[in-house]
Amino acid sequence: MSSKSFILKALEQTAIAPQPMPEINVAPRVDDLIGQFETNLNTVAGVLHRAGSLDLVQEKVNTLVAEGKQVISLVDGINANRETPEDQHDLKDIDFAVIPGELAVAENGAIWVKQPEGHRVTPFICENLLLVVEADNVVANMHQAVKKLTLDSGKFGAFIAGPSKTADIEQALVVGAHGACSLNVYLV
Amino acid sequence: MKIALFIPCLVNQMFPEVGVATLELLEKLGHEVILPEGQTCCGQPMTNSGCYEDAKKTTLKLLNAFKGVECDAIVCPAASCLVAAKENFHEFDNSPEAQVVIDKLYELTEFLHDVAPIAEFKKPFPHKVSLQMSCHGIRMLSLATPSENMSLQRHNKVEAVLSQIADIEICYPERRDECCGFGGTFAVDEGAVSAKMSKDKAYFHYETGAKYVVGFDPSCLMNIDGMIRRQKLPIETRHIAQVINEAL
Amino acid sequence: MSHTASKIHADKAAIFCKDEDRVNWHSKALWLLREKRDRAASSLPEWEQLRQLGSEIKLHTLTNLAKYLEMFEQNCQANGIQVHWAKDAAEHNEIVHGILSHHQVKKLVKSKSMLTEECHMNPYLEERGIEVIDTDLGERIIQLAGQPPSHIVVPAIHLKKEEVGELFHEKIGTEAGASDPTYLTRAARAHLREQFLSADAAMTGVNMAIAEKGAVVVCTNEGNADMGANLPKVQIHSMGMDKMVPNLDSAAVLLRMLARNATGQPVTTYSSFYRGPKAGGEMHVVIVDNGRSNMLKDKILAESLKCIRCGGCMNTCPVYRRSGGHSYNYTIPGPIGIAVGAQKDDTNSIAWACTLCGSCTQVCPTKVPLDKIIHHHRRLKAEAGNLPYGKRSYMPVVGKVMGSAPMLNTSMAMARTALRILPGSLLKPFAGAWGKYRELPVAPKSSFEAWYKKNRS
Repeated sequence: MSSKSFILKALEQTAIAPQPMPEINVAPRVDDLIGQFETNLNTVAGVLHRAGSLDLVQEKVNTLVAEGKQVISLVDGINANRETPEDQHDLKDIDFAVIPGELAVAENGAIWVKQPEGHRVTPFICENLLLVVEADNVVANMHQAVKKLTLDSGKFGAFIAGPSKTADIEQALVVGAHGACSLNVYLV
Repeated sequence: MKIALFIPCLVNQMFPEVGVATLELLEKLGHEVILPEGQTCCGQPMTNSGCYEDAKKTTLKLLNAFKGVECDAIVCPAASCLVAAKENFHEFDNSPEAQVVIDKLYELTEFLHDVAPIAEFKKPFPHKVSLQMSCHGIRMLSLATPSENMSLQRHNKVEAVLSQIADIEICYPERRDECCGFGGTFAVDEGAVSAKMSKDKAYFHYETGAKYVVGFDPSCLMNIDGMIRRQKLPIETRHIAQVINEAL
Repeated sequence: MSHTASKIHADKAAIFCKDEDRVNWHSKALWLLREKRDRAASSLPEWEQLRQLGSEIKLHTLTNLAKYLEMFEQNCQANGIQVHWAKDAAEHNEIVHGILSHHQVKKLVKSKSMLTEECHMNPYLEERGIEVIDTDLGERIIQLAGQPPSHIVVPAIHLKKEEVGELFHEKIGTEAGASDPTYLTRAARAHLREQFLSADAAMTGVNMAIAEKGAVVVCTNEGNADMGANLPKVQIHSMGMDKMVPNLDSAAVLLRMLARNATGQPVTTYSSFYRGPKAGGEMHVVIVDNGRSNMLKDKILAESLKCIRCGGCMNTCPVYRRSGGHSYNYTIPGPIGIAVGAQKDDTNSIAWACTLCGSCTQVCPTKVPLDKIIHHHRRLKAEAGNLPYGKRSYMPVVGKVMGSAPMLNTSMAMARTALRILPGSLLKPFAGAWGKYRELPVAPKSSFEAWYKKNRS
């Protein structure tokens, strides 16, 4: 007998009584979504630029490039100084990545980043991350977020809430563990 | 009302004053109080250890002491014994007679809050008391909303009853409903951890500046008292029945 | 510690308790997590509703587990994911090794997975010439220290920063005497970045597996799972089969509670959904039973499989905080460790490392009735004749004495008299742990019953 059959057969003897799937109906908190999002983003050590526009983002990128930073942009209309390389390992020296966020979640400051153009590792391997989200795409909570997010077959996506962090040494919070060391979110 | 006292073995043998206070306060409130004979242990030390076979005889003996006793309520001044009695009666006897007994079982605070509230206290109790919110009373009898629970509707029957007494000042230790470390045989089997829990609890109560640690569970109070005296802390334990009886 | 040292919880706990300052530090550090959890949970008016939903979703999934596992497998395959089934730890390790050796993997980067700890996978792979690098900072610390995790969320919580500083100085060349957490974390970042960039394969645990989508969800704060899984060609995700949830809506409910209950964060920094391999890569999911289907056959033990591994029960547990994670004779410590590990505990002691206070049950985001499960384990142990030594000898005696009113009264009266007339110093040796740490009770002259007979009847 295969292990699969073995396991499925063993599960026939489950002792707990059948339970129906509950209806998930949780009242959302809908007041001041952007304000809630900003508060929570700050809690997770991210920074919000409320009155952002693509022009502002481009200005920021231009400044960074002028400073000699290595910047890659996956946002349409934003131009930077690095292209997507063939091999994802070659992203290791990227200082800033500009990436579109599909949704922002007010209750926890998370941004849903669907599979980016190029390599999946881009939002994680860069030293600093800039996410660009349309202001209309702020949702109240995770229940709403999962109803709207894009996660196509064969693809990847992630909720990103702030820069990478750890508190594994004596619970002292340190920002910048393995992923990006800073997160700036531009609402456009 | 006619009340049958359920006096657990620990109270009977080690804290008769708690039994006396319970009886006196119920009488002062106008109830008729009786003590059914033949009460033994509720079986908790054995069932909590997993030894159900060893508990059966004891539990059934206690249950039989109450079967057929004419009364409106069975009241017990020890929360964890009451919880154990309820569970163990049910475990070993599912007859309708047993259910009649189970349905009448109340912990003292619960009885005074839910069933027969005290109309008026006659005397003040001008002392600061630090409440000992023992685990089984809080989390299994729902005497108060546990600190872990985030329900918007919160209740605290212990405080509700005591706060009616004039001049009483109620406070809580840090980590208000953390276990005191007694846990029945845990105090013997896991001596070091139990002692550390008890020590922390004794100090948290002491640090409130209260004169008394007041609780509804004699076993926890006995544990904390043993530690208070070992650490020579200037605070004393009192059972809630003693405080109420003094104020009536 | 020598090999002959006792593995019994009370013995290990007694050693931990000898250093009271350290116990205070450990207990406080974890209580701080409990307080953060309380703040985060109370910020959501729907918290208790979410717990109820969490419990019902998990129970529903567990009672339909075969259906959801098959749905998950089919959907995974449609997404280009290869699914493997392992009935036990040995088979899990063989499957992983098979995949790795097929790709001639020399270095595997791993992000936190209690399942691979449960399966003792690291030594298995290392014996076969594969270097395994734990990449979560806490896990890396204990890996370098040669220790098991002492907590499922903060695995190095038992170590002080000075100890980590010394370890890093020795192993990764940080400055001698340096113990600043930011400095040490930066050093680990640089050290582990090299490992990520040179790894041949990556492995992660799974927080949730979504049946309807054929996707796995992995949550980290550090980003190590994503740095790992998204760099090398091969990614492997190992999951206990209890990690299944039906759909994205269910995952949302659990994600709202997981980090809040673990550390008080509103959500982990990264909650990553893998629904297929990267371009040109391979993605494998290993579904592991290893005793889980057996637990489902007992309706009380079954509920322990509702657990989402937030670690909240450890942070609130008054015993865990004062005995340390290494005192439990199982990979997972604390209340949930007892619930899922007591059957494998050959010391028959961890089931008794609990006062049955019930705080864990109240903290649990999926309402696992931990105190009830632990109590049930004691009963199962007793029925199987597996009581700890002390209990085996005294419990039947206690049962006999307590069950007989005359015996109880006689013995208690003797004890009362002894307590009253004998000096404490003479009694203490007979009072065991009680008398060692506390004063004995002050005995009254008579019992309540005697008073009652005299005054009321």
